[in-house]
Amino acid sequence: MAKQTIEITVNGDRYEVAIDPWRSLAEVLREDLRLTGTKIGCNQGDCGACTVLINGRSVSSCLTLAVEAHQREVTTIEGLAKSPQELHPIQEAFVEKGAVQCGFCTGGMIMSAKQLLDKNPQPTETEIRQGLSGNLCRCTGYNKIVEAIGDAARRLAPAGEGK
Amino acid sequence: MKNPAIIGASIPRLDARQKVTGQALYTDDLTLPGMLFGAILRSPVPHARIKRIDVSKAKALAGVKDVVTGADTPQVKFGNWRLVPDSQDELPLAVDKVRFIGDEVAAVAALDKETALRACSLIEVEYEELPGYFSVEDSTQEGAALIHAESEGNVSLARKIKYGDLEAGFAQADYVREDTFRVHAVSHAYLEPCSSLAAPDEGGRVTLWTSTQVPYIVQCLLASTLGLPENHVRVIKLNTGGGFGGKMELRKWEFCAAFMAVRTGRPVKFTLRRADELASGRRRHGMPIRSKVGFSKDGLLMAKDFDVLLDGGAYNSMGPTATFLCGNFGAMLYRYPAYRYLGRHVYTNKPPAGAMRGFGAPQALFAAETQMNMAAHDLGIDPIDLRLLNAMETGDEIPEVATISSCGFKESLVKVRQMSGWDVKRQEKKPGHGIGVGCYSFISGGVFNWFNTKYNFASAEVRVFEDGTAHLLTMATDIGQGSDTVLRQILAAELGIGVDKIRLTASDTAVTPKADLGTWGSRVTLMAGNAVVQAAKKIKEMLIPVVFGHFDLNQIHDIAFENDRVFSKARPDKGFSFGECVYKALKGRRGEPLTAFGAYTPRNKGLVSPAFSFGAQVAEVEVDEQTGLIQVHKMYTAHDCGVPINKMAVEGQLEGSIHMGLGYALMEDFVMKDGRTLNTTFLDYKIATAQDMPPSQSVEIDTYEPEGPFGAKEAGEGLVSPTAPAIAEGVFHATGYRCLDLPITPPKVLQGLGRLKG
Amino acid sequence: MATPHFTVHQPATLEEALDLLGRHRASVKLLAGGTDLIMKLRGGAMSADHLVSLNRVGGLNRINYQDEDGLVLGAGARISDVAAHPDVRKHYPALAHACSVMATTQIRNMGTVAGNLANAAPSADTAAPLLAYRGSVVLVERGGRRQVKLEEFFKGPGLTVLEPMEILEAIRVPVPPGRAGSSYLRLSARSQVDIAAVGVAGFLALDLDGCMMGVRLACASVAPTPVRCPEAEAMLEGQRPDPRLLARAAVACVRAARPIDDLRATANYRRAMVQVLAGRVLQKCLSMAQGGAQ
Repeated sequence: MAKQTIEITVNGDRYEVAIDPWRSLAEVLREDLRLTGTKIGCNQGDCGACTVLINGRSVSSCLTLAVEAHQREVTTIEGLAKSPQELHPIQEAFVEKGAVQCGFCTGGMIMSAKQLLDKNPQPTETEIRQGLSGNLCRCTGYNKIVEAIGDAARRLAPAGEGK
Repeated sequence: MKNPAIIGASIPRLDARQKVTGQALYTDDLTLPGMLFGAILRSPVPHARIKRIDVSKAKALAGVKDVVTGADTPQVKFGNWRLVPDSQDELPLAVDKVRFIGDEVAAVAALDKETALRACSLIEVEYEELPGYFSVEDSTQEGAALIHAESEGNVSLARKIKYGDLEAGFAQADYVREDTFRVHAVSHAYLEPCSSLAAPDEGGRVTLWTSTQVPYIVQCLLASTLGLPENHVRVIKLNTGGGFGGKMELRKWEFCAAFMAVRTGRPVKFTLRRADELASGRRRHGMPIRSKVGFSKDGLLMAKDFDVLLDGGAYNSMGPTATFLCGNFGAMLYRYPAYRYLGRHVYTNKPPAGAMRGFGAPQALFAAETQMNMAAHDLGIDPIDLRLLNAMETGDEIPEVATISSCGFKESLVKVRQMSGWDVKRQEKKPGHGIGVGCYSFISGGVFNWFNTKYNFASAEVRVFEDGTAHLLTMATDIGQGSDTVLRQILAAELGIGVDKIRLTASDTAVTPKADLGTWGSRVTLMAGNAVVQAAKKIKEMLIPVVFGHFDLNQIHDIAFENDRVFSKARPDKGFSFGECVYKALKGRRGEPLTAFGAYTPRNKGLVSPAFSFGAQVAEVEVDEQTGLIQVHKMYTAHDCGVPINKMAVEGQLEGSIHMGLGYALMEDFVMKDGRTLNTTFLDYKIATAQDMPPSQSVEIDTYEPEGPFGAKEAGEGLVSPTAPAIAEGVFHATGYRCLDLPITPPKVLQGLGRLKG
Repeated sequence: MATPHFTVHQPATLEEALDLLGRHRASVKLLAGGTDLIMKLRGGAMSADHLVSLNRVGGLNRINYQDEDGLVLGAGARISDVAAHPDVRKHYPALAHACSVMATTQIRNMGTVAGNLANAAPSADTAAPLLAYRGSVVLVERGGRRQVKLEEFFKGPGLTVLEPMEILEAIRVPVPPGRAGSSYLRLSARSQVDIAAVGVAGFLALDLDGCMMGVRLACASVAPTPVRCPEAEAMLEGQRPDPRLLARAAVACVRAARPIDDLRATANYRRAMVQVLAGRVLQKCLSMAQGGAQ
């Protein structure tokens, strides 16, 4: 069976790759584009470590066929910080609040947090917990992650809003 | 206590930026030129003789570069208990027999993953099935076939502990009860599936990058199974995505990667699938636990008899250690005048149980703490009062086993009672609501040299430079708990320089000093921390004379290392920057670098551990008596971990422990049928999500552990134990249903309340 | 578990999609969200040489509510968009709820309600509320369209009346009457995020005399397909609400259930929970109907 050529924009960079149509977006990101920040924890859509944004929506990249991302905009964990010096506020909050331990779930967790805050800039604790329910973490017990996202929401709020 | 700005500070982990930006590398992220992909063929049957293996079709498949079976290997048995060679019961690939569904039979290396998997399916194996035993009761019955020929009755080892006069204790007791508890196997469920990449090196040497907790143990056992000198094997750990005890042995894919890398001359990588991990990975020991305990009418403990069968699965793994620790934790926490323990490690045809966070303690403490709660109920004594009456204290001794050098247990009980509003909530009961308590004690590493290492248990090398920086080299293994940060805090505190001034090289067996036994048993902070302190002290001894000489100080002066400076305490102007001091010392040594080694090996510390931590936890729960669903509303914890080096990291360990403890109590379980694990996805093997987790409030009790660096001791493991008994007592308080067999599922609650038929 | 190989077709129109289905009829599957399909293909539970993706077909993701015609969900409507849609939340709160609690955020962003129905899992979370709201599905093939009531759509686990060359184009739900209440409750025995071990949906309206009318009850995960509970519905229809009657109806719902023991729950537990949840669902429906104009 023939390979299909896809064009995808990942973190603002355009790529053209010829791939087997059955391969997942997670595999193509990791193996072809060498963007290994997207992790495969279960390859079954249950753990969330492979979460990326496609046109701004969070998806499990292990269950997404790469061909379905053709001509779409993909954002991975590598694309979130403006520069190595300037982290995204969610990333800063994760660092400072101790929301990272082994780090394997972290990238996917942050992408889910990004999706959540994009849709709901001032979430309640319950809403944060719901927003993270597709991302498993075995190290932290989630509390520091929840705290970090609350903190990031405050950092992201325009002056005068939130608290 | 020195440098409070660094010790006890909640400084963010030094690797966090790499992790939040996706730059941190894990083993599966590596690709090397010419790399092959490995796959493993596992046994589909629980117990069988291998009659024939035919790999010809697999070898003939295009893209396949190597196929190996047990017959191709040197067939050297291995196991972590090198001190007792008879306990080493595993071969890198099965020879003659398979003993569980998932037992590794053959391995393939091919140009891509898909070809490797397809080749596995082309290997023909003819099995002659033997009777399979899936419970300790079945495998220990009269006439059961032997899973290992050497182990009579399928008991691989027995461990006894005995002190005091048991008969007299029970005879004098006013209240005696005997109960049988059943605890189940659960998965480590680390998020990073195991991955190992081996590359051939010049001279027949091999380098292995692997997701492990124990680089040194992997190096030694890999060398022995490959038939190579230890020094020919280099093991490097990159970031490891959690372990919890599940990555503390030589694993068969590590052997296969290295073995096939040498054979093919190409790098070979194995990465497990989640289904492999859940279906055949290590797990916590399930056990039936029979416990008999006696009290005086006033609630004083008189005697305890604790009898345990550990379901070890097909191999010993870390079972020998779990067997001992289970007995130890059956009688920690309280003063037992008399205690007897018999633990037997039993083979069954299931995936092997191994080390898992708590290492025998969660099981023993579920039984012991639940029984304590049952006794409190019967004796009409508040459960916290009953504990206070019997609690251990600093200086207590367990005869010939351990001395408690620091203990904040009573303080923990008092504190958690107050924090949780215990007295009020216990008295003014709301329907469906309950509150329960559970406690724990844990070790700060083990003192027993079961690995039979010739080296120190922990080591550190410190190098300092004239630019004011230092380089710490250690084999201590950060698998997510944060030791890379904590050890740098300890070095920074000792040398008086900033943590940002310290480069760290860890867990590379070719360059970091021998040895460190790895991350398990909550040993790293205390043992590796002490090694770092010792190395730093030697460095200071090299620098102190420079200050004295240069400033012509009177010998009564004391030298301080603070704020990147080395100076006289009495005359702070008499001193240099740290870098300048190193520069001057270097000149004095005519260019010989300033390097020092430190080490730690516990000596004369009894049979268990150099230090013990303690704590108490309260769970507030609500039970829906119609559905049986249990919601944990809040967890309160007061614990004694000595002086926390990094408060935020300690809290992270605590909250992570609650997660695992809550899963153990309520939702995690392997569903098995005839030796086969049925729930092999995270959809069906349930670990708690953010929505399932209750908020947590915690406090550290102020103690100082004399054996630990800066007064620190264990913080990351013991806390996994109190959660299940606390929740179980909360459910009892809410409903009157007493669970003796984990997990506490909604149907069990309804059955216990007589609302659902079995 | 070898990797499945297939070609993916990405038509821009429904006609093209139907053509592709016909052309590859020997071994073809439709791909929408893919969250179930990809797992089934990888696990070997299903195989296909060709996948026809609906994700680039224009107009398929519509969510449209009109006071005369009710709700139309296109085959491409994502579960998360349905959950968040103001008209769905207002007129079909039980469906919005089902769509907001099932699976995970990522899966809801990928998966479609149509896919959830077409997969015909006994546990399909959207099926029970759609049964309660009298939903039907529009099936299209090259010859034309047909509309099938949802209760006639499911045939067994993974089986529906869909013909091989047919596409589930849309879901239609009529406008609910005034003074109505509806609810969906699901329960998974272990965690919040889980496949439902039991799900019960209900709908009822009150007439001018305060009698119940249009009562619908449906269960998920307790039979080979999502099922209605006709006996319980009949007991309640035209009756005045009375706690004992509601309790009897909840018991009757159990008789519609034919649960099995599986990894997620025992049959016994499921039966007991149908009664508990049905009782709660009826209470909730009733208080909603009594409480307001909705």
